[in-house]
Amino acid sequence: MEKLKKKIRSFSFWNWVIASIIFRLILIYFPNNLNLSSRPEVSTPLTSFRRLSEGYWLKQLSMSPYAGSMYHGSPLLLSLLGPLTVKRIEGQPNHLLYSLVSVIADVVSAMLIRATGQNLQVAYFGTLKSFDLVKQIEGSEVHSPGDVAALIYLCNPFTIVACMGLSTSPIENMAVILCLYGACSRLIPLAAFGWVIATHMSLYPAILIIPVIFLLGRGPDAPPRKLFLQMHQEKGVLNQSKLPPCFSWGPIIHFAFWALLWSVYVLVLCGISLKQFGGLWEMFKSTYGFILTVEDLSPNIGVLWYFFAEVFEFFWNFFLIVFHANILFMILPLAIRLHHRPCYLAYVAVCSMLKSYPSVGDSALYSGLLGWFVNELSDMQFSLFLFCGYVGVSPLSPVMHNLWIWRGTGNANFYFATTMVYACLQIVLVVEGVSAMLNHDRKLRSLITGKPRDAKS
Amino acid sequence: METFNNSKPILLFLLLPCLLLYSLIAFNSSSVEAAMHTNNWAVLVCTSRFWFNYRHMANTLSLYRTVKRLGIPDERIILMLADDMACNTRNKYPAQVFNNENHRLNLYGDNVEVDYRGYEVTVENFLRVLTGRHETAVPRSKRLLSDEGSHILLYMTGHGGDEFLKFQDSEELQSHDLADAVKQMKEKHRFKELLIMVDTCQAATLFNQLQSPGVLAIGSSMKGENSYSHHLDSDVGVSVVDRFTYYTLAFFERLNIYDNASLSSLFSSYNPSLLMSTAYYRKDPYKRNLEEVPVTNFFGSVMETIHTDAAYKALSRINSGRFEAQTSLDQSVHHIERRMPMKVNDQEETHNIIPEGNKQLLQGEEGASKCPWSTFCNKFRKGENVDILVNYGLVAMIPLLVILTWLVQ
Repeated sequence: MEKLKKKIRSFSFWNWVIASIIFRLILIYFPNNLNLSSRPEVSTPLTSFRRLSEGYWLKQLSMSPYAGSMYHGSPLLLSLLGPLTVKRIEGQPNHLLYSLVSVIADVVSAMLIRATGQNLQVAYFGTLKSFDLVKQIEGSEVHSPGDVAALIYLCNPFTIVACMGLSTSPIENMAVILCLYGACSRLIPLAAFGWVIATHMSLYPAILIIPVIFLLGRGPDAPPRKLFLQMHQEKGVLNQSKLPPCFSWGPIIHFAFWALLWSVYVLVLCGISLKQFGGLWEMFKSTYGFILTVEDLSPNIGVLWYFFAEVFEFFWNFFLIVFHANILFMILPLAIRLHHRPCYLAYVAVCSMLKSYPSVGDSALYSGLLGWFVNELSDMQFSLFLFCGYVGVSPLSPVMHNLWIWRGTGNANFYFATTMVYACLQIVLVVEGVSAMLNHDRKLRSLITGKPRDAKS
Repeated sequence: METFNNSKPILLFLLLPCLLLYSLIAFNSSSVEAAMHTNNWAVLVCTSRFWFNYRHMANTLSLYRTVKRLGIPDERIILMLADDMACNTRNKYPAQVFNNENHRLNLYGDNVEVDYRGYEVTVENFLRVLTGRHETAVPRSKRLLSDEGSHILLYMTGHGGDEFLKFQDSEELQSHDLADAVKQMKEKHRFKELLIMVDTCQAATLFNQLQSPGVLAIGSSMKGENSYSHHLDSDVGVSVVDRFTYYTLAFFERLNIYDNASLSSLFSSYNPSLLMSTAYYRKDPYKRNLEEVPVTNFFGSVMETIHTDAAYKALSRINSGRFEAQTSLDQSVHHIERRMPMKVNDQEETHNIIPEGNKQLLQGEEGASKCPWSTFCNKFRKGENVDILVNYGLVAMIPLLVILTWLVQ
């Protein structure tokens, strides 16, 4: 019976995957990609397809691709994806090849998410077995986090929109997921490669270094180490082999070495390709400098554009530091509190609230990664509220944008309201997720130590 | 169990950035790329004012009309005139300026754009236009925005003498000022080729001091000779055109935009007995053969149009010699004929540069330790191969990653 259930579940998983791929392929053939690439939610100055083709065209004219402040991405992406922006096949839609690359990136990301999720599941069951808690969960329905997360990622409307909108987010997401997969599976060169590429393309995945260090040092998510010690003290069995391994520094050093090597490789390639246009400094100024100084204040799904349009220039530096430090300072205390759950820490790091230029692709990524914790977060508060919030904001945001820009009957506040709601939903999601995770740990502790259960549902 | 001492992948992996770093170090200077001729500019200066110098303004306006007719747009013409003829109270034909007594052509038509008029025509402004050193508030229409691919026509007319040109009856431009300005322009890469045409008395002395390469200069008379006006218009009451400009215009009126008359035919069309002076030209700084240079290189602006199907397909300056292959076949024969002199010249230029570059490279690489690297670095010095190298590096990244991951597992 169990085998049959498992077979059915895996069969329907592949069904869903193929269905989503077919759906994307159908959407490619819609005219002009449904104008998705011109939506501010999808294409930001960092991920826009139009800017990529502009950068490639400037490069072909022997000018710096960063001239005119249009393109702000990596020069390697120009060499890789640039020719795809101009290649046209007779009778096929305009950007078929580029859309196919995005679809392939999505599928690869989904497969990697599934593999990581299976890794996490194995680790989860391993810890439950060591706590002798397996029989208590056999009755309830335990979902496979890998399948759930992969399906969420593939079938999420945000992901589909980001893929069809010809942004570069599918590729950035793939790099982030590659890094996490490598770290979970202890494939250190892969993790270093993913981290270097993700940081190179957009600055914020640099913060993933902290979860990756914990992943490599300790292993995937597990309840706190002291629980193990407590359990063994209670049961009086000191079986060393059942303890999770101590924090080891060897893999970290290994990771640092590979990360250094890959970053030298990438920087040398960039330096060569930008040799006559100002070199690496120009690249850093136009990519990282652009992200950090928020030069472009055109509307997007974040809140910084409105904020910096109304703040006096005198205070810009201060607020820039505040916003960017917010991401950093959020991770550090959480790292102390949740160091035994590095994958969840990675999920919070990926959320990157108050980013400079967020887009729908970012929400696609963290919604997908949320699926890994579907078992731990099953008791999350406000889950319905969050889901309805996201469902509500998604159509309202283009509507408000239309009202503001095209019809002129609204103003910037309309659109800013939806972006504020989006940011609030993100914050509530992270906060509730963290508290749900901590509750899960508390429940485990109460189960193990035999104390009465918490009344929280 | 990962072994830190697994030497194979580490060696392999350390080798690759070392290769790239070595080639970076070996690369010391970039080769000179010949600029392609991309645009034409015209600076037309009339340095006289007052009613009796009507003919100088008519000269300049006639040349303005010719240059516009042959294709240079207003945004690339800097016209400096005193502009006090057309609406002068002594003008019997208000708002009209003629260069012939048959009054066939009104030069002051609807679309004359004068950039510097009246008292703005000074030596200082002229030199600022040439060198590009303006105040910050000067609008773009008053600036000479040329680049290293520009051909510039500089035409000056007025009263002049031995190594000077009189500006608006109050100041003068001397030949060494002009030579200095041209030298600055050359250093700042503000032109590819410059044609200076001067129609004044003793005009040829004005460019005595010119040394900059790529400059061709012709004057209407030599030292000690005067340049004369062509005829008197008894109706308007003054002479309406000078001889040198008159015969220049006569040459151009026979041309249209597709003709490929050469500069040597223009220069040889000046008959000293008709001009009553000797039109003298200096071509020692100008290295090209005058018979191969079409007049439209300076007096007109005939742009190449290359028809392609795909969007965003642009030529890089490096591959300038290859664009002929993409032209469509149903263009007129005149185009192909006219384009060939330019193609030959561009290839000559590139051919001139490459052997010198190779010689330098060969001399520089004699002390190099590794023989295979010399050919690699030679190829690397040319700009085109940078992209190929980056592509190789990118493509090599994936199998490298796979191999390393598998090895270190």
